Amino acid sequence: MASAILELKNLSREVTGRNGEPFVIFRGINLSVRDGEFVSIVGPSGCGKTTMLRVINGLIPPSGGQIFVDGREQKGAGGDLLMGFVFQGAALLPWRTSLNNVLLGLEGRGKSPAGARELARKYLDLVGLSGFEQHYPHELSGGMQQRVNLARALAIEPKILLMDEPFAALDAQTRSFMQLELLRIWSQTKKTVLFVTHMIAEAILLSDRIVVFSHRPGTIREEFRVPLPRPRDMEVKSDRRFVELENTLWKLIEEEVKAAGGFAKL
Amino acid sequence: MASDGGMVAIVGFYRDNSRAIHKALSILCGLVLWHYLAAVVVADTAFLVSPLTVVSKAYEMLFVTGELYPHLFASSWIFLYGYLLSIVVGVPLGFLMALSPAVRDYAHPWMTTLYTTPRIAFAPVLLLWLGIGAGSKVAIVFLGCVFPILINSYYGMRVVDREFVELARSLRMKRVALFRKILLPASLPFILSGLRLALGRGLTGVAIAEWFGATAGLGYLVYFAGQTLNVPVLFVGVTAFGLMGIIGFEILRKIEDLATPWKTSHPR
Repeated sequence: MASAILELKNLSREVTGRNGEPFVIFRGINLSVRDGEFVSIVGPSGCGKTTMLRVINGLIPPSGGQIFVDGREQKGAGGDLLMGFVFQGAALLPWRTSLNNVLLGLEGRGKSPAGARELARKYLDLVGLSGFEQHYPHELSGGMQQRVNLARALAIEPKILLMDEPFAALDAQTRSFMQLELLRIWSQTKKTVLFVTHMIAEAILLSDRIVVFSHRPGTIREEFRVPLPRPRDMEVKSDRRFVELENTLWKLIEEEVKAAGGFAKL
Repeated sequence: MASDGGMVAIVGFYRDNSRAIHKALSILCGLVLWHYLAAVVVADTAFLVSPLTVVSKAYEMLFVTGELYPHLFASSWIFLYGYLLSIVVGVPLGFLMALSPAVRDYAHPWMTTLYTTPRIAFAPVLLLWLGIGAGSKVAIVFLGCVFPILINSYYGMRVVDREFVELARSLRMKRVALFRKILLPASLPFILSGLRLALGRGLTGVAIAEWFGATAGLGYLVYFAGQTLNVPVLFVGVTAFGLMGIIGFEILRKIEDLATPWKTSHPR
C-alpha cells in the first residue's frame, strides 16, 4: 500500500462571527490520501468543504491542526508549488489566451520560455483543447473554460490536484461529458485528486473513496470505499453497487440536512 | 431588371455600413437644421451664423490669415500638459489608495473635497498663486482631469475579481507578479474609461483657464469673440473645441482597441 501523500491532522478553521463569538466552519478533520488516489468530499451546502480545500491550498490559514504533503508540513502560501487548484468559476484571466492562461503558473519558475510553452501545449492537448491555444476565454464555452482551468492546474505538475466543484456551473449534459473526460485525464496522469462536490452520483462515478461531511461545523461523518472497478463509464451508474451506495450517501446527507434545520435553512 | 439589381446593391451597402451611414446622416441633418435655423428662422448674423459661414471663416483663419494656429497650439499644449500630468499623478495615486488602507484613509477626505468643489472656484486662487502664465492654466486642466483618472484607477484595482487574487496565491505568485500580471491588466479598462471621462473635463478646464487673463488659446478666442459680438469667430472657436474632443476620443478608442484586445466590443 502506497504511503500517504496528503495528510490532514486535526485540521480546523473558525472565524469571528457577527456577535463576536467564534464561528466554527469545520473542525477535527483527520484525513489521509494515498498517492494516486481519487478522493471526493461530499456534504450538505455550507458544510465547509470548499473552505477546507482552500485551507489545504494555503489560500486561507487554518485555525488549528496540520497539513502534511509527502510528510512535510505545509505553512501558508509561501512554500513550493505542490498543489494545483481547479476553481469553481474557471478563474481564467480574460486578457490572456488559453495558452497564456495555462502558462501563468509556469512563468518565473526557471523554465525556458520554449520549454514552458511546450508544457502548456501538452496539457492543453491532454484536456482536448489543441487548436484553441490562441482563443480568449470569452471565445470558449463553459466546458472548454473548465478544461483550460484544469490544464492550468495540471501544467505546474503538482503532486496533488484540488478541485472545487469544477462542474457545478455547467449544464447537465456538459457536466456528464466533463466527468468522463476527467476519468480519462485522471487515468492518464495518475494524479492524486481531492475533489469537492455536492453531487453524489458525480462523487461515486469518479472516486476511489468518498468522505461525507456533516453539517456545520463540518466534521467527517463517514468514509466509503467505492466498490466499482475501473475503467468506468456512464454504464456504471446502473450497476447495483452504484445505486446502493448512492442511496446510502443520500440518506446520510438527508440526515445531516435535517439535523441542520431542514431544507429551508439551506 | 437592372433597377432591381441596383436596389439590392443599395440595400446590401446599407446593411454592411448601417452604423456609419446613421452617423453621417445624423451629422448631415444637424448641419441642415443649423443652416435652416440660421438662414431662415433667426436670419440675424449677430446671433447665429450658418455652418457654411463658420466653414468659410475657419478656412480663412487657417489658410489665409493663419490666425487660428497660435490659439490651437496654445490650447493643445495646455491640455496635453494638464492631461498627461493627471495621468502621471492620478494612476499611481489611485493604485496606492487601492493597495494601502492607510493611504486610502489619508487621501480620501481630500479627494472627496477637491472632487466636489467646483473647479471654476479654484481658478482665481490658482491665478493668484501661479500667475497668468501656463502654470495656472495647466493646473486648472489638471484639477479637472486628475479625479476621474484617480478614482477609476482606484476603483479598477479595488474591484479585481477575488478569485484572481486567490489564483495568484494558489500559483504562489510573488507580489510584483500579482500586480503586473493580474491587478494591472484587470484595472486597465477602468483606467481607460477614466481617461475618456477626463477628456471632456480637461477641455472644459482649457476653456475656463483661458478666460482668465490669457492672450492666446481657443478659450481666449471664444471669450474675446463673444465680447466683441464676432459670431463667426465665436463658432469657429467652439467648433475647434468640439473637434479636439472628437480627435481625443478617437485616439483613446484606438488605444483601447490595442490595449484590451480581449474585449469583444468597446463603447463607440
